[in-house]
Order: sequence, then C-alpha cells, then structure tokens
Amino acid sequence: MVSAALSESWQRYRERAQRRWRRWLNRRIPPAKKVTLDQKRIFIFPTRIGFFFLFTLLVMLVAAINYQNNMSFALTFLLINIFVVTVLHTYGNLAGLTVHAVRASPVFAGQRAEFEIMVSRASRRQYFGLHFDWLKQDSAIINLQDRQEQHIKLYLRTERRGWYKPERLRLDTVYPLGMLRAWTWLDLDIRALVYPRPLASGDLPGVSSDQPDGMAEPVPGSDDFYGLRDYQRGDSLRHVFWKSVAKGQPLQSKHYTAYADRSVWLDWNLFEGLPPEQRLSHLCYWVLEFDRRNEEYGLRLPGVTLEPDSGENHRLTALRQLALWGSPDGNSAVTSMRAAA
Amino acid sequence: MKLEEQVPRNALVWIIGTQFFLLLPHLSRIPWWVLVLYVATAVWRSMVYTGRWSFPGGYVKTSLTIVCFGGVALSYGTLIGLEPTVALLLIAYSLKLIELANQRDAYMVIFIAYFVCLTEFLFSQELLITLYMIVAVLLNTTSLVALHQPGQDRFTSSTIRRAGSMMLQALPLMILLFVVFPRIGPLWNVPLKSHAARSGMSDFMKPGDVANLSLSDEVAFRVQFEGEVPARRELYWRGLVLSKLDDGAWRSLRWRDVPGDQRRLAEPELVGDYSDYSIIMEPTQQNWLYALPYATTRDRGIIRSNDFRLVSPVEVQDQKRYQVRSWLEVPLEDDISDWRRGVDTSLPELQNPQTRELALQMLAEADGDPQRYANAVLEMFRDQAFFYTLRPPLLQGENPVDQFLFGTRRGFCEHYASAFTWLMRFAGIPARVVAGYQGGEINPVNGTVIVHQFDAHAWNEIWLQGQGWVRMDPTFAIAPARIEFGLEQALAEEGSFLAETPLSPLRYRNIGWVNNLRLQLDAINYRWQLFVISYDQDQRYQILNRLLGSVGQTQLVFLVAGAWALLLVPVIITMVWRNRGPRLDAATRLYLDFCRRLRRAGFERSGHEAPAAFAQRVAADRPAWAEELTAITRCYENLAYGGSSDPEALDELKRRVRTFRA
Repeated sequence: MVSAALSESWQRYRERAQRRWRRWLNRRIPPAKKVTLDQKRIFIFPTRIGFFFLFTLLVMLVAAINYQNNMSFALTFLLINIFVVTVLHTYGNLAGLTVHAVRASPVFAGQRAEFEIMVSRASRRQYFGLHFDWLKQDSAIINLQDRQEQHIKLYLRTERRGWYKPERLRLDTVYPLGMLRAWTWLDLDIRALVYPRPLASGDLPGVSSDQPDGMAEPVPGSDDFYGLRDYQRGDSLRHVFWKSVAKGQPLQSKHYTAYADRSVWLDWNLFEGLPPEQRLSHLCYWVLEFDRRNEEYGLRLPGVTLEPDSGENHRLTALRQLALWGSPDGNSAVTSMRAAA
Repeated sequence: MKLEEQVPRNALVWIIGTQFFLLLPHLSRIPWWVLVLYVATAVWRSMVYTGRWSFPGGYVKTSLTIVCFGGVALSYGTLIGLEPTVALLLIAYSLKLIELANQRDAYMVIFIAYFVCLTEFLFSQELLITLYMIVAVLLNTTSLVALHQPGQDRFTSSTIRRAGSMMLQALPLMILLFVVFPRIGPLWNVPLKSHAARSGMSDFMKPGDVANLSLSDEVAFRVQFEGEVPARRELYWRGLVLSKLDDGAWRSLRWRDVPGDQRRLAEPELVGDYSDYSIIMEPTQQNWLYALPYATTRDRGIIRSNDFRLVSPVEVQDQKRYQVRSWLEVPLEDDISDWRRGVDTSLPELQNPQTRELALQMLAEADGDPQRYANAVLEMFRDQAFFYTLRPPLLQGENPVDQFLFGTRRGFCEHYASAFTWLMRFAGIPARVVAGYQGGEINPVNGTVIVHQFDAHAWNEIWLQGQGWVRMDPTFAIAPARIEFGLEQALAEEGSFLAETPLSPLRYRNIGWVNNLRLQLDAINYRWQLFVISYDQDQRYQILNRLLGSVGQTQLVFLVAGAWALLLVPVIITMVWRNRGPRLDAATRLYLDFCRRLRRAGFERSGHEAPAAFAQRVAADRPAWAEELTAITRCYENLAYGGSSDPEALDELKRRVRTFRA
C-alpha cells in the first residue's frame, strides 16, 4: 500500500518536474522553424569519459608528487588545462549553427514519419560530430566541413492519426576531445500529418452510391464490358484476359464500365456500430483502394462532405480529412480546403 | 556498431603513430623485443582495418599477455622497480591496440599514452626530451581529436591544428599552476630506477674503467661559481676515495669496513680562501656527490663523510642541485689514526715483488723522506718512457703492476694512480686512489663549468706528516696537457678522443659556429635545470613572495580558480546572463512592462498582434482604459517606429506606464 502510494506520488512528482522542465525549455528555447544556437540554448557537462580522464589526471598528479618530478607536474597541469579549454571548444562546436525545419511527410499511423531538417553554419568554421537524436528512435551524426549546410532525414514512429508533433530534438556533440558534451533541445515547430491506419474490411458493406443499386464489387457479366487495360497489381485474377496471356502477350485485365462511371460514396454510416477510429481506418482503406482502381469516390463524414472525384489531389484531400476529422485543426483544414476550391 | 562509436581510420593512424613516437625514447631501457611487439601489433591492427585479418581471440590475447609478462620478468630478472613497471605499461599500451575495436578502447589507449609520456619524464627531464614529449602530447591529443571526427576519409590539417591550439591555450594556465602548486613530499614510496641505470663512476675501479668512461661525451655535472673560477689544474672534483684493494681492483670502504669510532668526520680548521659554487648533477643512481676539497655545504640532507667527501643519503635519482663552499687550502686530517694508517698502507704481501724492490730502493735513495720519495717516483714517470694512452695493452697475470712498470709502460690515469699507490704503500706511506673528474669546460655564454664524463679521472692522495692528505697526480707527470688543457689535447697525437662517437658535437669544437651553438644550448639547458627542473618549495615561496607578498593556500586556490574563470569568461558570462533575451531598447522594455500589467488583468497580447490592434481589442472590452491605452500605444509607436529618440517622449512613456493601473 505504502509503496504504491509512494510510487504514485513519485510519478506525480516526476510528471510535474517534467512539465516544469518543458515549460522552462519553452521559455529558453521557444519553438521555431529555425533555431540558431547560441549560449542561451547550449548546455554543457562532462561526459563519463571526461570524469575518467580527470581520474587519470589525479593518478598522474600523485605520480608527479611521489616522484617529485617537475616535468610530470607540468604535463599533468597541461592536461588539466586542456580539459578546461575543451569547454570553449566543445561549446564552439555547436554555437553558430542554425537548425531549420524543412518538411515532414505524411504517413499512415504505425509507420515512421520522415522529418527532414537542415543544419547550416554562418561562418566557415568546421563542425564535427554533430549528433542528432530524436526520442532515441532515430539518430544521425554529421560533419559540416566543406559545405555550408546539410540536410538530415530522421524517422519517427507514429501511433495515432492527426497531427504528430514530436517532442524536442536533441542535438549534441562531444567534439573535440569527448570529455565534455554540449547539447541543446530543439523544438523545430514541425509536425507530420498522420493518416488513419488503413484497415481492410472485406467487402464494402452496403455501398452507398448515387444509384441505389450500386455495388462496389461488379459482378462479371452484370455490367458492360468496357475494354482492356494493362494489368495492375491488385486487379482481380477473375478479370485477367487469359486469352491474350495464352498468346504470349502481357497481362491484361478486362475493364468494366461500372468502375469508371459509378461514383461511390464512402460514408461514415457504412460502418454502423463500429468505434469511430475503426470506421476511419476502414474508410482510409477504401479511399486507397478506390484511388488505386482509379474510380471516383466521395467521402461523407459527420460535418464533412467531399464530392466524388478521383486523382492524386482528391486522395490527399480525403486522407487529410480522415486524419484530422474530429480535431480542432480538422475544421480549419476543411474551411481552407473549401476556400481553395 | 553506431557511427559515433566507430574509430575513424585517421584516428587509428594517429594512435599507431603516437605509439611508435612514444616508444622511441624508451628503447634504450626496455628489452628489444618490445619493439618487435609494437611492429607486430601495428601490422595486425592494420590488417584488421583492411579486413584481411580479424581481431585476435581471447586465447591468443591471454597467451600473448602471459608471454610478455614472463619476458619482462626474464629480461630484468624482476618485476619490481621502475624499468620493469614501465616496460609492462608499454606492453599493455601496445597490446591494447589489437583489441581496439570501438571508441571506448581508443580512449583507453590514448589515456595510457598520456601516462607513458609521464614515465619518460621519470628518466629524463632534459630540455630536448621535454620538447620531444610536447610533440608526443600533441600527437596524442590529435588522435583524440581525430577520434571525434567521424567518417573522415582524408587527413586535414584542421585535426592537428585544433589539438595544437588547445595546447597553446592551456599553456599560460599550466605555467600558473606549475608555479603555485605546492611541492609537498612524496605521499608513499614508489618503485625506483634500477641500479642498471647507474652512470658515471662506480665505487669499484678496475684498470680500464675510467678509460671506458672517457669514451662518453655526456655531461656529468655543471658548476656555477659565485666568484672567479679557480685555475684548471685546481679543479679536482673528488667523488670517491678508494682505499681497499680487492681482486686487483680498488674500491671504497663500505660502512661496515669502518669501525664505529672512525666514522665521525674530523673537522679541519678552516683557513685561507674559499670558493662558493653550486652544482647541478645529472642523475647517477649513486650516493656520492662531487666537489672540490675541502667541501662544506649548508644544504640539508647532505652528509660529509670522514674522507672529506659529500654524500647524499638517497641515491641521486634526478638531477640534483647543491651548494658548496670549498676551502682549497685547508689541510685534510692533520693527525692520522692508526686504523686509517693501517688501511691505507696495507697490500698483499706476495704480489708484484719487482715493484716492492723498486719502492724500497727508491725510498733508500730519498733517504727515507716520503716527500722526496714521492717526487722521485713522479720524476721517474716523467723521465722514463711511460706513455699516456686511451688504448693501453691488457695487463694479465699475478703481478700486473710489475708488468706495467717494467713491461708495457702504457696506461691511462687509473694505471698510473694504481701503480703510484702500490709504490707508496710498499714504502709504508699511507696512500689511496681518488676517483672523480678533473677540469671541465668553461662555457663563455654563462660562465658555468661543464664537466663531461670524459673528464673522469683518477689520482692519488698520500698522507704526509704536517701536511695531511696531499694530492699527487702521476698523470700530470706523464701528460701535463691532460691537466692543463684537457683530454682532447692530451690525446691529440693518438687521435682517440671521442673516436667512437663521431657525431658528438664536442669533436667539432674547432668549428666556430658548431661550438657556439653547442655552448648556447648548454647554457639554455643549465637555465632549464636551474629554474624549471629543480623548482622546489623554497623557490616557490620566493617567487610567490616576490609576486604577491605573503599569500595563504586559500588565496592561491582562488587565484587558480579565478584564472580558470577568466579563461572561460565568454562562456560563463553568457551562462549567467543566458536567461536574458536579446537586449531591448528602453521603449520596448517599457512597453513589455505595460503588456505584463495587462496580462495580469487577463489581456494577453499574441505574438503577431500589432500594438495598435491590441490596444483596440483591450479598449473594446474596457472602455474606461481606452484613453490611456491609446496614449501609451501612440507613445511607444512613435519611439519604436517613428524614429523619434526624444528623451521627453521616453519620459512620458515611462510616466504613463508607471501610473497605468490595470
């Protein structure tokens, strides 16, 4: 009981400390698309190796005392002061750098989102061993020698749909001697759009279409044969035009008019009884599916209606709606979308 | 392995280079096979780098370690002592290379290297060695820098320049620490240098020993006289008194050879002129010190022996500086004890019968007067066909002195000194061999007398009633040039001076600029020894008193801390002030103060909101403030954007903001 209470209060304490720490960081290094590192933003502390080096120096000092050897004293003092001077050099290996947010590519929940950042320098100073670490999930180490800037791509796991704004990026360096580490926490004000995780749902239950008898899965022979097209991955094997295959020609599949003409409504209500997130996942799957089939589809979510259309832009709009549905950002996304239209 | 844990190729090259650089000065004092080990591990590690070989397995490493330990034990006969310890350290330093896989291993190797630098100083702190070690530290620091330049595939000068600039920046504070750090005594006993490293004279003189020493151009000690340098023929630096004949060799009396009541020094009466000087002696691993007779010193920890020498109770491990006052005219031991007379006249009865006969005959010719007899012997050396040579024939058989006096008649100083002692003792005159150095080279640059190993010399002292111990130098009778001008002139005909060290700068003394350079360097070396190597607690007190007046330990700690702080000022200032944002002008500060007041009232200005818009928004909510709001905003806008720098406008803004009550 007591331990449980203790751990709970410890937990609370930690959370509070973390909150305070974040608030403090936000004041010290406010989120920005572009952060130039200066003394205000750089922290510095000896590394484990640094402490080990100091211990080595202590042993050397004892040797110098015991042997009453002045040159050994001199050597020890030289190394002590090299350690002190390293503070300036390690600090200098971050100072003057500018880190820019470049872009974050959208992903489906559960995938890793790609964040592209750029680091640039103002002077011709050479920077070495700049170590980027983001949430211990991905890291990169770079030098800035001849070029003025360098792009870095880091990948972070996503879990939920919506905007994913990662915690601060840590940039650190132990150059030149590895005895001190200078670091900074950067909030690059960068976020990735995370689409719902696509979830297959077998057949589309009761397709809602403009034509009441509309079906998502055309039955062979029930619709007019429209023509042949090159086989695409995902085309049903039942639609493959086997005769031409027998003649040694490339795979072709039979194409029915229903795909091209009928516009399907992907409707929130198609998945009656399922939890909202699962509905969105299914809808996401179907958006991708119809886009792949190059069919027209519309999207109907509570509060959102997207007229049937097809193509890249339409897909992106639809996915964006699915990603942001229900979030405060989502509405503004819709309004801006409408304004653009 | 992650990129940041890998060891870049450049770092590996620097590390291996540093290893060989550090091994080089140690080579003379470690077994030869350690060099083989270094080559082998370097080759192995390079092969691992190119991917042709793999790291050795644990079995190989263990057996290599055991073999090397055994090898050191065999080579030295022990694992205790400084040399075996250093050899083991060097071996560990080398073996670590073949298991250097990641950054952590590299740190180990580099830190060991810093320690190896230190061990070199335990053997020599000379200026040249110090300069060499500065380069070694630079190389090692460069490896450390290269270790943190990941993925570098070409060498850039930036690596070594970075290491160099760090060392240069560390230098001033190193000097400060060096001066102020207290020189306390050893905390505990440490392994000392082995006796194998002894150099210079030994207390056991066989024929040929001094001649061997004369082949070396190393410096034995340097002397700085306070007044004038005495004449060259007076510069007999006594080191050892050899009284006992032992297997054909002369040796000094051991502690146990001397009866208790004879151990005390009979202090002579101090008369005549004296000469003050200080000596800096190169390490010998022996106890005795060199000085002119009769030597007194006020240095603590130096003993005066009963044969009028200076002795250090501990072996001279490092360069040693001591101050001497010598009374050149004081007679030594007016009154000789029976014990000493016995010791200094004893000879094996049956050896060298011809010499004995000669001695008795010549003594008779001198009417039994010891002084006349001794002079007659010297005259015999001078007038008969005796030769002074570095390359005497070997004396063998039962009666070497007979063989020398009546046969070969060619010898170096120890042959003559030995023969002279025999002749004196056969005549019943107390006589002994004195070993040390004779002469020295006066450096015109700073006036020091440089005594080299080739100035090693052996001469005699005989005891005469009323005069005490009188110096007799048979070599002077045969080769006066040796005493008047030095060994080089004495051997000019033979051409054997430093014949085996053709590169010694001393051989080119006749070439003006070479000699000049050598003497300049020696003067620098002397200063180096005087002020740096022998810097001790006394000198520290003097310097600190002169610079700072009397200061306590605490103040010194503050002094060093202050110096460090000063060095880090750029960082420290900004760390202390880093909470402050960029410095704002007065108007903006006032306006932000105003915004703070409004925030407390619940009106937060968002980042993009212009002051006027903000004022409007607040005024819409609190019409009562509207007038003041617009006034303040207008004031601020005029100051910030209107280009007005009117102090009155600023005052107005200040007044309005101060009086504004939200």
